Formats: sequence, structure tokens, C-alpha cells
Amino acid sequence: MNAVKTIFLKELMVEFRSKQMINSYFILSLMIITSFRFAFSVIDFSLTQLASPILWITFFFGGMFSLSPIYKREIEQGTREGLLLAPISPSSIYLGKFLANLLVISCLELFTLLIFFVFFPVDTPDLLALLTLVAIGTIGIVALGNIISAISSNLAQSEVMLPVLLVPVLLFTVIMSSVSATSNVFAGAHLLDVMQEIKFILAFDVVFLAVGYLLIDYILED
Amino acid sequence: MTLKNNIASLILGIAVISILISIYLALVYTPSHETMGDVQRIFYFHVASAWISYLAFGVTFVAGLLYLKSKDLKWDTVAYGSAEVGIIFCTLAIITGSLWGKAAWGVFWRWEDIKLFITLVLWLVFIAYLALRANAKSRISKANLSAVFGIIGFICVPLSFAANRIWQQYHPTVIATSRGSLQASMAFALVVAVFAFTFLYAYLLLTRVGIEKMRETIEEIKQLIGGQNV
Repeated sequence: MNAVKTIFLKELMVEFRSKQMINSYFILSLMIITSFRFAFSVIDFSLTQLASPILWITFFFGGMFSLSPIYKREIEQGTREGLLLAPISPSSIYLGKFLANLLVISCLELFTLLIFFVFFPVDTPDLLALLTLVAIGTIGIVALGNIISAISSNLAQSEVMLPVLLVPVLLFTVIMSSVSATSNVFAGAHLLDVMQEIKFILAFDVVFLAVGYLLIDYILED
Repeated sequence: MTLKNNIASLILGIAVISILISIYLALVYTPSHETMGDVQRIFYFHVASAWISYLAFGVTFVAGLLYLKSKDLKWDTVAYGSAEVGIIFCTLAIITGSLWGKAAWGVFWRWEDIKLFITLVLWLVFIAYLALRANAKSRISKANLSAVFGIIGFICVPLSFAANRIWQQYHPTVIATSRGSLQASMAFALVVAVFAFTFLYAYLLLTRVGIEKMRETIEEIKQLIGGQNV
């Protein structure tokens, strides 16, 4: 547990020193939301129906691209060997990185949510339900994003391979359920109405975390 | 080597004979469907290819686990071969399903049906698996990373199978416990088709693994004589 805490603090320190992830997330989410606003400025559309997919696609791409440097920078800065030689298990590296990225990305998503409501003024939904969905959806994005980022950092063309590997798996599991649940929330549903979807997303979160915790050893070793 | 060749020939023989029988059963023996007519006959091959693609991806999953446990590259070759053959059967399932959809629904594809969507995503996941292998930097890294990704990708399979049962949409459910939707002769033809395709899969997998092993041997020989890797 101590090792997890150390990695957690180390990740936060590295992130706040370089602000690589924070900067790219801010700019990217702003660009994505603006592009959607532009795309839907010329046609008539129902704000409530489109709000949920737009929000999740923003979270998805923002999260994906900001997760891309987290293992790659260990290689680039030559800290990977040190990390692997340290007397801690690879699983705690995964957990530490997961928690740190979860914290940073959740804060960034709250900010994105604000921009989103400015650009797409929907009726205020049940905030408890919306925030719960965002929280558990983010756990899924970060848990799987961490594994795939570790895999793609060891590949040639890692920038291309990250979306290629992450999009199919994440899109149909966490994102698909989150989009349908969030659509209901925007249409007026409350937390208890979307319990079924929440359980579904939580199941995926648990699976992704377990896979990452158990298999990160094999990804990092080569 | 000869024993292996004999087994492969035997499997091929069973596959060819049972496919011929299954074609006869599907096209001649079974009665025409009361509502869909002759179009329904594609169903035997559609379901068989879909099941074999699930089986193939399941083999990739199990072989990936065995590789990670034993670090024996033999299992990695099996996982790779099975993923490739699985993609072919998954493609067949998607194509035969679309043909049926055109006749039954009037359109080739329904995006709102989650089962169709998840099966397409399953196909994409294993295309990504091949892309991962193509971009790996070393043999060991290729085996490790693709084993992990194959394990993650396999979670699509139960979802794809169960999608029409969970979400209740357009895609028909074949094995329903409440109502027997299949006549006995149709069920028999389906079982034979699945049996035939299983042997076809086994033959393709054996051949694919054999080719991959030969390719690796050639590369080893090239290394030995100091030639360039082509």
C-alpha cells in the first residue's frame, strides 16, 4: 500500500511539473466541444438527445490522448528501468498510476462539464446521477486506458496504436452503457432509474482493474 | 511429422464430408421456414460461423493465458493462428447475416441493433490484435503484449453472444428456453453444420500454426547463416 502511495505521489508530482496531460486535455476537450458545436450549428437538432454522446466522446478522446504519455514518458526520460528495479510489485505501479490519473482526469472532466453546459445549454439534469455516471465511466476509461497505454508504449507507432487498441474495447463497453444511461439522465431520469446501467459499467470497471492489476507484470517486463 | 500430417488429413476429410452432408441437410432435407421461406436456410451457416468465431477467439484467450503462464512461444503461435481464423469466420458470420437481413428486414444492416454492433466491434478488436502484432518490436514483446490484449478482447465474446438476450432487439434468439423455436430437423441440420465448421476450423488452425512454425524455422536458419532478415 505504501508503494501505491509513493507511485501515486510521484505521478502527481511529474504531472504537475510538466503539465503534459493537463494542457493537452484542456485544449483537446475545448476543440472537440467547439467542433461539435460547429457541426450542429447549421442544422436543427434536439439538444437533449445529442448531449450525452457529445459529452462522452469528449471525455473519451480527452482521456485517451492525455493517457498516452504516462508510460511512454518513463521510457523517454529513462526512468523505466529505475521503476522496474525498485523493490515494488508492478501491480502497485499500475494502481498508483491509475489513482493519480483518475484524480487528475476527474478534475479535468469537471471543468469540461462546465464548458459543455456553456456550449450546450440543456435543462439541468439530476446532478447526482450525472456525476455518478461520469465518475464510474471515468474509472473504466482510466483503468483500461492505463493498460492500453502501457501496451502501446512498447510498440512502434505508439500514437496510432493507442486509439486503434483502445477504441473498440472501450467504446462498446463503458462508453456505450454510459451514453445510454446519460441520455436518460438528460431526459429527466434520476439515479435509481439508471441503476441497471450503473451496475453494468461497474462490472466493466472491476474487470478492467482486475486485468490491469494481474497482467501489468507481463506488459512491463520486456 | 508424418503423424501430424495424417491427423491433419483426417480432420480435413471429416470436414469435407460433414460440410457436404451439412449442405444437403440445410438445402434439401430441412423444410422451408413457415414465415421466412427459403431465405432462412442461410441461418445454418450463419450460426455455425458465428459460433466458430467465438470458439476461435476463445482459443486465442486460453492460449494467451497458457503462454503467459508457461512462456512457451508455441502457445503464442496457436493464439495468433486462432485469431486469424476467427476473423475469417467472424467476417463470414457478418456477411451471411447481412444477406439474411436484406431479405428479412429489407436492409443489410441495422445500426440500432446492439448484437450486430457488438459483433462488428468484436471483429475490429481482433483486427486491432493483428495491428498490435505487426507493430511489436521483438518476438517476446509481440507474444506478451498480444496475449494481454487477446485476454482483454475476449470479453466481447460473451457480450456479443448474450446481446440479444440482454437487450431484446431485432436479432432473433436461437436458443430460447421458454419456447422451442426450432423444429427437430432444423436443430439437427444446425448441429451438423456446427460440427462440420468445427473440423474446418481445426484444419485451418493446424495448417496456419504449421505455416507459422515453418516461417520461424526459416528465420532461424537465416540468422544462422548470417543473412539479412527479410
